[in-house]
Amino acid sequence: MEERKRYSGKVDIGLKSPKYLVELAKVDKHFGSNHVLKGVSLRVKPGEVCSIIGPSGAGKSTLLRCVNLLESPDSGNMVVAGQYVDLARPLDKRSLLQLRRNVGMVFQSFNLFPHLSVLENISLPQRRVLGRSAEDAKAKSLELLERVGLADKAESFPSKISGGQQQRVAIARALALEPKAMLFDEPTSALDPELAQEVLGVMKEVAASGMTMLVVTHEMNFARNVGNHLVVMENGSIIEEGDPEQIMTEPKLERTKQFLSAVINH
Amino acid sequence: MNTVEFWASRFLEMLGGLGVSLQLTVGALVMGIPLGLLLALGLLGKSKIVYYLCLALVEVGRGAPALVVLYVVYYGLPILSLRPEAMVCAYIGLTYTTAAYTSEYIRGGLKAVSPGSIEAAHALAMPQLDVLRFVLIPQGLRVAIPSLMGFAIQIFQATSLTYSITVREVTAISYSIGSNTFRYLEIFALAGILYAVITIPATWLTNKVEARLALRH
Repeated sequence: MEERKRYSGKVDIGLKSPKYLVELAKVDKHFGSNHVLKGVSLRVKPGEVCSIIGPSGAGKSTLLRCVNLLESPDSGNMVVAGQYVDLARPLDKRSLLQLRRNVGMVFQSFNLFPHLSVLENISLPQRRVLGRSAEDAKAKSLELLERVGLADKAESFPSKISGGQQQRVAIARALALEPKAMLFDEPTSALDPELAQEVLGVMKEVAASGMTMLVVTHEMNFARNVGNHLVVMENGSIIEEGDPEQIMTEPKLERTKQFLSAVINH
Repeated sequence: MNTVEFWASRFLEMLGGLGVSLQLTVGALVMGIPLGLLLALGLLGKSKIVYYLCLALVEVGRGAPALVVLYVVYYGLPILSLRPEAMVCAYIGLTYTTAAYTSEYIRGGLKAVSPGSIEAAHALAMPQLDVLRFVLIPQGLRVAIPSLMGFAIQIFQATSLTYSITVREVTAISYSIGSNTFRYLEIFALAGILYAVITIPATWLTNKVEARLALRH
């Protein structure tokens, strides 16, 4: 019990100026007998845009979902925004909420609250999670809607706007909690190319504002032009990692070359 | 006295009985639906003990006819040295039946909520109770509304059963008027009309609401 308390919550682990905002060490995860993450380690610096690519089934989304513990890994360690988490132990509720407060997430299927207006979608979490007043939340929501170019949709319901617009609202909703890092789980995969571009435009702007981002994506242009850290995964492991430009022009592994030529010619 | 005159002479008395029926309906719904929601949450929750407890309450409540439930309450409570009025027994019995039936409609509604919006709420660091209150329950109830409205019509009709435990609702009043005047057919025809005046527009309303909710998704 004492042991568990010591490891949960905000712990000073001696990092005076934390070099990494997200640090995963030896993350292991099974789905039944399927070994989906095989001791994955990953470090993301503050302000970095880390794109995670690879064939489907490689474990990219699972890895991303471990960062905010939507998936519970079997073992490993993690430090997110200064919060240390021993992944082999169950995390207490307070620490879990604290972790998630620091990390925003954007999903492939947008996942807006269908019974709430666009404005309420962005305001509700601010009020419940940050305790903002109704007026403060509304002001913040409107400011973010302006930023993602949807100020005129504040009163619309999610089912009445396009997928690209829904995804931009979802980004605004996550940003409203002022997270220290943002996770994007294939944010444009459900969108046709034109709508995908408007979402990528917003993501580019978010990146330019200095946000630390982990992005699971098939958008090679985004990974190359906006990203500054590229991770290639296959079969539950990171097989290649580094500068996007370099990996895309001169991949070290034959497998990476194969994958890149498949997606780029696609 | 022809039928119309007969009806007119007894109309206020019958209306009073209809008022009692409506009162029982509203009471059963206002107390029963929140209990049905709790049972539904218990059935969807993680605790096995709570699950089996709720399951037993729901299955007994749905398995036993509403009339039997009313008799069990009416003849059962005095054994515990309680002597509640017939009206109180009627509220208890009908509320239990309502809770048991509506829990299934609500459970169906809650299960129809897209897991994505629940997951998003968790990712937004909303505490579990907030996720239930602001995301899961409002969406689930919305799905369940047409079935709940349909059930409200059924429980309104079922209030006629409380006549068997001496509640003076519209069926009981019809019966006593019938036995005093021997004009059973006419007075029960009036009772039927009074029930229909409530249930037919309520059915229209249910259909309208169902169509409107279907449009929004």
